[in-house]
Amino acid sequence: MKHIYFLFYLLFSLLINVPGQAQQTEKVLDGTFTRVPFEQFVRLVESQTSYRFYFDPAATDSLFITLKAQNLPVPAALTQALQPTGFRFAVDDEKRVFVTAGKPIEATLPSTFFQNTIDGATIARADAAAPQQNTPVGRSRYVREAEYVVHDIGTGTGAGTGKATLAGHVRDLKSGQPIIGATVYTENPDAGTSTDQFGYYSLTVPVGRRDIKIRGIGVKNTKRQVFLRGDGRLEIEVEEDITSLKEVVIEAEKDKNVAGMQMGLTKLDIKTMRQVPTAFGETDILRVILTLPGVKSVGEGNTGLNVRGGATDQNLILFNGTTIYNPSHLFGFFSAFNPDILQTVELYKSAIPAKYGGRLSSVLEITTREGNRKKFSGSGGIGPLTGRLTLEGPIVKDKSSFIISGRSSYSDWILRRLSNSSFRNSTASFYDVSAHVSQQFNDKNSVYATGYLSADRFRLASDTTYQYINQNASLKWQHSFNNKIYGVFTGAYSHYGYDITSEKNPVTASRLQYGIKQTNLQADFSYFPNTKHTIDFGVSSLLYQISPGSLKPNGEGSLIAPAILGREQALESALYVSDRIDVSPRFSVAVGLRYSLFNALGPRDVYQYAAGLSKSENTIIDTLRYGSGKVLATYHGPEYRLSARYALTDNSSVKLSYNRTRQYIHQLTNTASVSPADIWKLSDANVRPQVGDQYAVGFYRNFKSNTIETSVEAYYKSLRDFVDYKSGATLILNPHIETDIVNALGKAYGVEVLVKKTTGKVNGWLSYTYSRSLVRVNAATTSDMVNGGRYYPSNFDKPHDATLVGNYRFSRRFSTSLNLTYSTGRPITLPLAKYTSGNATRVYYSERNAYRIPDYYRADFALNIEGGHKVKKLAHSSWTLGLYNLTGRRNPYSVYFKSENGQIKGYQLSIFGQPIPTITYNFKF
Amino acid sequence: MPRRLPVYSALLWLLALLLPSCIEPYTPDVVSSPRQFLVVDGFINSQGITTITLQRTVDIAAKTPPPPEKGAAVSIEEENGSRHTLPEGTVKGTYSSAQLTLNPQRNYRLRILTAAGKEYASEYVPVKTTPPIDAVTWQAADKGLSIYVSSHDASNQTQYYRWEYTETWEITSPYNPLVEYKNGRIQNIVTPFPTICWSTNNSSAIALASTTRLTQDKVSNYLLRSLPSTADRLRQRYSILVKQHAQTADEYMYWEILRKNTENIGTLFDPLPSQLTGNIRCLNDESELALGFISAHSVEQKRLFITRNELPTTWRIQSGYESCLPADTIFLDRPTPPPPAAATLQAAFSNPNYLPIYALETPTGTVYGYISKSRDCIDCRTRGTAVKPDFWP
Repeated sequence: MKHIYFLFYLLFSLLINVPGQAQQTEKVLDGTFTRVPFEQFVRLVESQTSYRFYFDPAATDSLFITLKAQNLPVPAALTQALQPTGFRFAVDDEKRVFVTAGKPIEATLPSTFFQNTIDGATIARADAAAPQQNTPVGRSRYVREAEYVVHDIGTGTGAGTGKATLAGHVRDLKSGQPIIGATVYTENPDAGTSTDQFGYYSLTVPVGRRDIKIRGIGVKNTKRQVFLRGDGRLEIEVEEDITSLKEVVIEAEKDKNVAGMQMGLTKLDIKTMRQVPTAFGETDILRVILTLPGVKSVGEGNTGLNVRGGATDQNLILFNGTTIYNPSHLFGFFSAFNPDILQTVELYKSAIPAKYGGRLSSVLEITTREGNRKKFSGSGGIGPLTGRLTLEGPIVKDKSSFIISGRSSYSDWILRRLSNSSFRNSTASFYDVSAHVSQQFNDKNSVYATGYLSADRFRLASDTTYQYINQNASLKWQHSFNNKIYGVFTGAYSHYGYDITSEKNPVTASRLQYGIKQTNLQADFSYFPNTKHTIDFGVSSLLYQISPGSLKPNGEGSLIAPAILGREQALESALYVSDRIDVSPRFSVAVGLRYSLFNALGPRDVYQYAAGLSKSENTIIDTLRYGSGKVLATYHGPEYRLSARYALTDNSSVKLSYNRTRQYIHQLTNTASVSPADIWKLSDANVRPQVGDQYAVGFYRNFKSNTIETSVEAYYKSLRDFVDYKSGATLILNPHIETDIVNALGKAYGVEVLVKKTTGKVNGWLSYTYSRSLVRVNAATTSDMVNGGRYYPSNFDKPHDATLVGNYRFSRRFSTSLNLTYSTGRPITLPLAKYTSGNATRVYYSERNAYRIPDYYRADFALNIEGGHKVKKLAHSSWTLGLYNLTGRRNPYSVYFKSENGQIKGYQLSIFGQPIPTITYNFKF
Repeated sequence: MPRRLPVYSALLWLLALLLPSCIEPYTPDVVSSPRQFLVVDGFINSQGITTITLQRTVDIAAKTPPPPEKGAAVSIEEENGSRHTLPEGTVKGTYSSAQLTLNPQRNYRLRILTAAGKEYASEYVPVKTTPPIDAVTWQAADKGLSIYVSSHDASNQTQYYRWEYTETWEITSPYNPLVEYKNGRIQNIVTPFPTICWSTNNSSAIALASTTRLTQDKVSNYLLRSLPSTADRLRQRYSILVKQHAQTADEYMYWEILRKNTENIGTLFDPLPSQLTGNIRCLNDESELALGFISAHSVEQKRLFITRNELPTTWRIQSGYESCLPADTIFLDRPTPPPPAAATLQAAFSNPNYLPIYALETPTGTVYGYISKSRDCIDCRTRGTAVKPDFWP
């Protein structure tokens, strides 16, 4: 076997190796090679020089060398020739060249190899005399040195059986940005942790000589050797894995599927998201999320997510810790997040950590990048409708950085060029700006500030202007008390509001406004008492302030009577603690408890309704007036979070989880899709909070050395008191909204199957979900019942759903992606017949959601062309050519019925009626 | 107050702008072949004649009106008591009782045996006595005319009210023909067209009110009808007959849902419609549905007249015949050389919906053409009846 040869040569070379060997007159290479087969090239080099090559012929059979050499030394020529390929080489002092795919082998032992003794006194610091000519290509000297130096940590002898805690940050070598979710571990004994959103880790291991290994998404695997005498810090800088630029590889977390504690968690990095073709050529995280098993939406042009049978308001969308209420632009055709600033997106579908609360179904945590701490850089792109630009750089080198990113549509510009005058009088535009600043004061204190603003404005044929806006800000202070405990103190503010102005008719000109403000303060602590326990605890408090709606006349001539609904206020507080216990390497458990308390606050007038009767204006028996700050309703309850993992073998495991969640805020939309005019309503004396329980079980197995991940997860969910609507509910400007809504029961269950290939030329994932989502409105009064009080399919009940996301990489520069999506059509209530009664035509409807619109099917295709892969280059650029809805299938977005000349006619609206070609240019400097 | 936003139309517009979206007719199989359900319309009149119409539902895309249900045996049944039959009238599908006075202490139901042998019955319902209408008033404001209804029940028994109304108004066409086309030639008119007609319209909106929130069972100035200041109905004399129905809480709820279902038809941004059947069940076939709500109550009514000279003089009331002006001219002397007059007349007036009004003559008395217009602009009977209603002053 090849490996044995390598080992042999390695040993051999070591035995005879004398450090600092002098350079002899070196043979140089001359000539021009154009796609010369590698073997041929090798024979040529071997004939001209004394170098001898060792490689796997099977692995290099598709390797061709293109090179222009003019008196180049062999290592330099090889560096140049192999640079754009996936191959690396190493040369030993005997001029033996080892060519390998991926990582270069270490042709020499570290200089400290023979110096390590149990006596700590002889441990060397960084060795400047390391042989330069042996530095493998693609590996920076810094990291190589850091890997081979034994870091002396703490004070003490390092002897004995005690334990010590090592903590620090993992950062990118070039940009200084934190690496999130990287695994930091030792193999003997088995102990590990992963870095948090700040790149922070804390690992408790027995004292003595340890190898600390580091793996993370998009970074090269590395290790640090430490001699641990006591608690101490180790800052780790790692290199970006450029070779994985086009692979969706989560190589670093290869076995996370099986070995990770978390179930129902999907983590995507921006590279994965970039590959999925979209309608407008722009990376859209919400579109990518929709390709995952268990995540659905009612239709295109709609970013409302339905996670595991939950409603669209049951997802907590966090952007660097602030809650985003409307994650979309232009009715949902774009997600509101600029892809350039994103680092990772994590979606928790089950086993939601105790740290998160306030929503029933899922947590979508979006983390932005920290700006480059080392140098100024930028990136951007131009698509068919939008342009975007990101700038980042250090404020104080290695201490603080900023990143600011903006995106804007230029559709207004296009509109003004159209000949149709009604188009010229229209505007449709949006923009978003995100900024993030991080400042590290010292090892123990860092501060992070984020600001986010997104706004939409469209005016249609100079009639009604719609505007809506998200404003968010957060400030985080991370403080390490010691190596075992650190805290993050967060203050955040979110605001969402809309403003609909009508000007066409001066008599009815009006302005409708809605706004929600959320201010929260929270403290989260992580405590690592020993290798077996990871304890998180914290406290949070959240103040909601809602202006539920105001309608005002717009202009002098308007006769609109002003209507302003009273403000709503509430305080939501929570305490939580969770412990992750690694009982044995095979078995681990996480237990958590969150206790949330909700106080609806005055000033407010609260209607009281006659007991046992349907709530309506007619059953109001009293009105109670609460003063400012007075508590008008209190709800509280525990939220349990449990999960367990048992590893059956090295590459298969079983996981279980149970969690309860409580939600005190409800989105009111009695239409099938999410619209910007939807409003959020707080629980109060008449609207109970929603409570959900989810039980999930999963089996995970990896194949082919963790390159193929498979999983099967099944869940059962029961939901209580979520909001459903009475027939013909009026939601906007309704001062007694409780008369139009009912508390519903829900149940959802399903099985999700995922097969994912993470590496190789062909990669991607295939997911299939069978799921049901059912609702039951069995109110005390018959008139409030829906479908006779029986379970009926929810608006987003789509039992079968299959998605294929496939990527094929022709070469480093060309790759293609293909998306296939199929799902059952969503339920609909159909008019079945018409008749005349009371001098008018009436329609007889089916039971609610008794029928379905036709099935959904779509195929998309994209071709990515990367610029050259030279590491040093003025600007890197790429082109994406996409074809959305390849087959031009007219998927019904909605089916609706209109009365025309006494006939009631059915129509289906397809948003994408034909293939949509797009082209996007991206750059980075 | 905008009850819902025009978001849907905005979305459609936006899509039309940005995307190659498309809208296609769509008829689900289930909609194109529905079962024909029995529809029962009417109420049991506790003090008078009960009229019930029976029909079958039709396909939602149907152009034909719902077919009447003929040959059924319909009767009013008192709980543990007598039975009154409703024979079918000359208008098929309409069944009427004799003049009845029902006992307000008893419960009644409607029972239907169809010709096909299916037997239906409503639930037994109590008899509610409708209080008299206190007043039907009107008010003219800048925006137009508002008609209000007021009522009360001193015994606090009514609480739920529903109103229907019938409007009647005079119409006068702008033309009164002196000639007519008969047997291929123009002659002086034999039977002149009526100069005045009366048009009638029944309310289709569902008007409901409840007094449960009030300390008294009193409806004060409920806005029943609004007419713009240009409404042609107000041109001469206008009359409205308001009928008041007392309702039970269940019936009120039924009409409330029916109102909401009718106002909105399942578009994406409309509220979800709901299935609504009523209180009629099929006794011998559970799977048969019947639509409608039968209640038993008396009816009170009141009529109001409004004449043009009572309304503000600044109102620009239309005639309803704006599109009829000006009249057409059929020339007999054009083009040159003119075709035979008979052919020209034949071409113009052989269609009975196009009528000559008077002849155009040269100073020497030669007829060179006819002023003419479509029948709808001339004969007011196309828009009403020439028979003066007996209540008209």
